[in-house]
Amino acid sequence: MNQVSRILAAAPPAPADASLARRLGNALLPARLAWRQLRAERARLWTAIAGVMFACVLVFMQLGFRSALFDSATALPQAMEGELFLLNPMTTAMFKPEQFPRVRAFQTLADPDVAQAVPIYLSFATWRNPETGVRRTIQLIGFDTETGAVAFPGLADVIEALKRPDTIAFDRKSRPEFGDVPRLLAERGPFEAQIGDRRLELVGLIEIGPSFGADGNAVLSETNFRRIMGQRRASNTDLVALRLRPGADVAAVTARLRQLLPPDVAVVSHSQLIAWERNYWESATPIGFIFAFGSLMGLVVGLVIVYQILFSDIASHIPEYATLKAMGYAHGYLRRAVMAAALTLAVLGFIPGLLTSMLLYEFVAEATFLPLEMDWDRGITVFALIFSMCAGAGLLAVRKLRDANPADMF
Amino acid sequence: MPNPVQISGLNYAYGEGEMRRAVLRDINLSIGAGEIVLLTGPSGSGKTTLLTLIGALRAMQQGDCAVLGQQLLGATEDQRVLLRRRIGFIFQQHNLLGFLTARQNVAMSLELDPASNERDRLTLAGSMLDAVGLADRADAPPSQLSGGQRQRVAVARALANNPGLILADEPTAALDRVSGQEVVHLLRDLARSRGVPILLVTHDPRILDIADRIVEMEDGRILDDARSRA
Repeated sequence: MNQVSRILAAAPPAPADASLARRLGNALLPARLAWRQLRAERARLWTAIAGVMFACVLVFMQLGFRSALFDSATALPQAMEGELFLLNPMTTAMFKPEQFPRVRAFQTLADPDVAQAVPIYLSFATWRNPETGVRRTIQLIGFDTETGAVAFPGLADVIEALKRPDTIAFDRKSRPEFGDVPRLLAERGPFEAQIGDRRLELVGLIEIGPSFGADGNAVLSETNFRRIMGQRRASNTDLVALRLRPGADVAAVTARLRQLLPPDVAVVSHSQLIAWERNYWESATPIGFIFAFGSLMGLVVGLVIVYQILFSDIASHIPEYATLKAMGYAHGYLRRAVMAAALTLAVLGFIPGLLTSMLLYEFVAEATFLPLEMDWDRGITVFALIFSMCAGAGLLAVRKLRDANPADMF
Repeated sequence: MPNPVQISGLNYAYGEGEMRRAVLRDINLSIGAGEIVLLTGPSGSGKTTLLTLIGALRAMQQGDCAVLGQQLLGATEDQRVLLRRRIGFIFQQHNLLGFLTARQNVAMSLELDPASNERDRLTLAGSMLDAVGLADRADAPPSQLSGGQRQRVAVARALANNPGLILADEPTAALDRVSGQEVVHLLRDLARSRGVPILLVTHDPRILDIADRIVEMEDGRILDDARSRA
């Protein structure tokens, strides 16, 4: 034993900063104990990592689909060009707009920074499938073809044709139930299509994409829109796009317009318009809930797996843990070790989960054309969820530590 | 200098109300500095309960029990945890952590000191293993050690942080005669050289020779200290 005391005596007195570093290092000892214990049981460790990874991928896919569907649901407002928009404050979504007086558009021109005010008309009419003759509801989007306030891909090619009476352009991404219009158009050239009880010349294709509200879309000039929607009051519109003069202060114009216009219209920016539409689908429909529920299921499964692993790790080491307690380790030390194990699993499972999800995003995006993309925000959100999931499992498993009672050791 | 262990009028009972069953009655016991005391007696005589009370593993109910200067009657959980760090425990089973090497297991009893560092801990653990004759097995996991070797690692672990008292419960129960003898003699020699008192509960008549004093218990009481051998 003299040897031992000699070693203790020989240790030089540590400087203060080294002692701080040492204390910090010693604060990580429970984590090291946890890692050594995890590492010792390889099969258990892999199961736990696979469980966390599974939860991770499930949550990523749910959030990815959710976001992709909302993106596609807001395809219409996204295609609008304009710095500011007017809409009826009671409008909840584009597929069911509340009308407001068209004169509001012209009132905004009183502001020196407003260059153009373009009324946009939204309505539904029946479309007769040119192949089968079956009728189906299609969304019509009417606007002044001279102004360029709306910019759908492909619109430039048909804009001249749309200025002619009784012409229409069809959304090539409309659901197939509307008929294979692109093929017919390629075979026959412009042909006659029936909208409501009127015959119009189908002159070309544009691209918008179906949303939850509309299965298909068609665009046409303001005048042609009025001809189909004869029963509609011409003095009402559904949406107004405002183009500002270059360099105008959008916030200042918004404030001035707010003063100028009566409260029957809301003034919103382009991003607010998209958020307005998105908010409807997120909060007023069960779609947001369904994906949240799917994510929750993934987290619950992950939590149960991690809990099971941590629980059995504790249960199989009860005598050893009790011994540590008898040696003077506080209950809190062991609790920290269990929590460290849980959080280590969170990190170890998240990394392969993230990589797998990125591969799956690419694969699914190719297969479904849904705009699935990994971004930082989502990565951080999912990591926070997985981290909380593992912490929750840890907190549940920690209760098992109470069974490690040093008084039972003798 | 007070005795490392000083007990008077200690009573202890399990259960509540109708189910209450006294296991220790009017215990008076003191262990002097460097003294090796063996506690024997039939099963159920309360010796293990007494050991857990002295080891601060159980809360006291009644009487006076001072261990290494800490009064245990009414001591808080934190006080008891701190006291345990100054006591070396040796159990019937070695209870070594299977995922650590022998050296890491011994170092576990040194990690409680927040001012220690890893290198010193491992060096000290190594020399403790050397002292129990396991220098060459220091980096083996417990699964690759024999029963006697494991119990020797447990002895090294109990002694590593310079305890003021060693408490052992049937340390030879799981060992054959030769390795049992080895372990207790090792324990005695190490404790003697450092002046650490030992309280050892045993049934094993083969190891009575290490004792300074043998205390016999029966039915929750200590029998007259007539057979003292000191």
